Amino acid sequence: MSPRVLGRILHGVALLLVFAITVFPFYWMVSSSFKTQTDLLASPPVWVFTPTLTNYADVFADEKVTRAVVNSLIVALCSTALSVVLGAPAAFALARYDFRGKSDLWFWFISNRFISPIVLALPIYILALQIGLLDTHLVLILVYITFILPIVVWITTDQFRSIPKELEEAARLEGASQFDIFWRIYLPLGIPGLAVSAIFGFIFSWNELLYALVLTRRDVQTAPVVATSFMSGYELPWGKIMATGTVIVLPVTIFALLVSRHMVRGLTMGATK
Amino acid sequence: MSFLRLQGIEKRYGTVSVINGVNLEAEKGEFVVFVGPSGCGKSTLLRMIAGLEEVSKGDVFIDDVRVTDVEPAKRQVSMVFQSYALFPHMSVRDNIAFGLKMAKVPRAEIDRQVNEAARILQMGPLLDRRPRQLSGGQRQRVAIGRAIVRHPKVFLFDEPLSNLDAELRAQMRVEIARLHEQLGVTMVYVTHDQVEAMTLADRIVVLRAGRVEQIGSPQELYEAPANIFVAGFIGSPKMNLLNAKVTGRSEAGIEVSHPALAAPLQVTGRRQSEGRAAPAVGEEVRLGVRPEHLMLGEGRNLIRLKADLAESLGGSTLIYGQTDSGETLSLQAAGRRMFGKGEAFTAGFNPADAYLFDKAGEAV
Repeated sequence: MSPRVLGRILHGVALLLVFAITVFPFYWMVSSSFKTQTDLLASPPVWVFTPTLTNYADVFADEKVTRAVVNSLIVALCSTALSVVLGAPAAFALARYDFRGKSDLWFWFISNRFISPIVLALPIYILALQIGLLDTHLVLILVYITFILPIVVWITTDQFRSIPKELEEAARLEGASQFDIFWRIYLPLGIPGLAVSAIFGFIFSWNELLYALVLTRRDVQTAPVVATSFMSGYELPWGKIMATGTVIVLPVTIFALLVSRHMVRGLTMGATK
Repeated sequence: MSFLRLQGIEKRYGTVSVINGVNLEAEKGEFVVFVGPSGCGKSTLLRMIAGLEEVSKGDVFIDDVRVTDVEPAKRQVSMVFQSYALFPHMSVRDNIAFGLKMAKVPRAEIDRQVNEAARILQMGPLLDRRPRQLSGGQRQRVAIGRAIVRHPKVFLFDEPLSNLDAELRAQMRVEIARLHEQLGVTMVYVTHDQVEAMTLADRIVVLRAGRVEQIGSPQELYEAPANIFVAGFIGSPKMNLLNAKVTGRSEAGIEVSHPALAAPLQVTGRRQSEGRAAPAVGEEVRLGVRPEHLMLGEGRNLIRLKADLAESLGGSTLIYGQTDSGETLSLQAAGRRMFGKGEAFTAGFNPADAYLFDKAGEAV
């Protein structure tokens, strides 16, 4: 066997291994959601079983879950939309203007992400409690913006920088104002970058658990919080938890698969030109 | 009063000076070409006329109005960029209409103007395409169309043809000349290509290191270059330069000698009016002869040469030879000529076609 063929086989095996490791938990969640409690707790695990939809029936019958999905949607959509609306002009300024402290500001945006989220959980909880924002959509939206905005600013600034400066100069000569240049030139040309950061932002908000758990109580619990909330009491309804998990993960997974090509392109856009 | 006037223009980036006191006056409808090697400041100068670069010192006047501090859009200038700078997400129509839209021109008027520009540039069928669906030449035309519709007082071109292949470049050059004739607008055109400069310009401004070396019509620059730099830059292939010595002066001109010349040569100065002192007897000078003025084995002033290389251009041959003292000369001869390496030959020229430059490189 030539080294080339051997290399290819090893490469394939390694890929399969990585694939199995990453996909297995997902497979386990989905398959468990179709199992009865008995099959679920069987030891050794049952690989062949008669699927049941009772878990899903339970989930969709539970008003808590449907409300949580609606809450998740509200929070994720609002935080993403606001981050894009606030981030795009910021990125434009960072990409095209020179001002004092620009690089510090630029770094500050991303340095926000250096802090482990749990460090700020308590201070933010106390803050929310004191100003009476606990258990509201608003508090989650605000907190998520602090996470998503830096991503939007970073990706979009990079995208904006890759737009040739002559376009801006041509527009200036044609009588376009700074706002026109932003609105008619940069924004349309920056859509790939904005879309990528919006997708990241949405997936982040949709999946976020820690702050949602800390800052909500009953009314605005998001889907991940509700999924974990089943883990209280004496009996753990694994089937229902797994079904809820599947219901939460499925939409973003399908979405991510659909847009993955654009995401890669958006992320490498500035690099090659 | 001239239409476009640059008065003592300077540009500095920090301590680095890129434009050093440029003065220029252009008449209405004139075609002015800035030419020079890369880094000479020609594009910067153009961008200062456009208002895209701030002027460090001096003033820009357009149609008798001082526009030094006026923002680009209010100067009534249009610019065609080297990269065309078309808006990739807009159709050709929207690209051309952009400036009119910005100026809030009524819709019907915009349509009329865009169609008129499309007619002039013969690109009606392309109006609904995107820039990326167009060839280089077509993009160029759209960029010009966008410039036309605003009816600018001055048209600015920043190396507009450098991204095109040779054939298309020649074709677009003709079109730009035709456009200039048709519109009668003042045009300022930047290029490093002396052929473009010679063919398009009413007046050429030769720049080097942020200074104007010479301003004049293409013929003036060819016939009476102010110095060695201009002489070398205008004309293709480049002018030959030989190290010669002044051996005498008379009413008829300056007598110079060169080891490769059988007899001293009488050269008439071309720029006596400049008021510079003519070189004294015994002084070193540079003798210039253009390749197209050297004739194989003809004329009275024969130079002995040894062939280095002969490049056949089809209809003519470009021959490179060396003098005994090792100076390389090129000459252009009609027809196909064969030369072996080291083969001896002679080339002559008419003294009236010779140029003289003093030690400082200034024309005599």
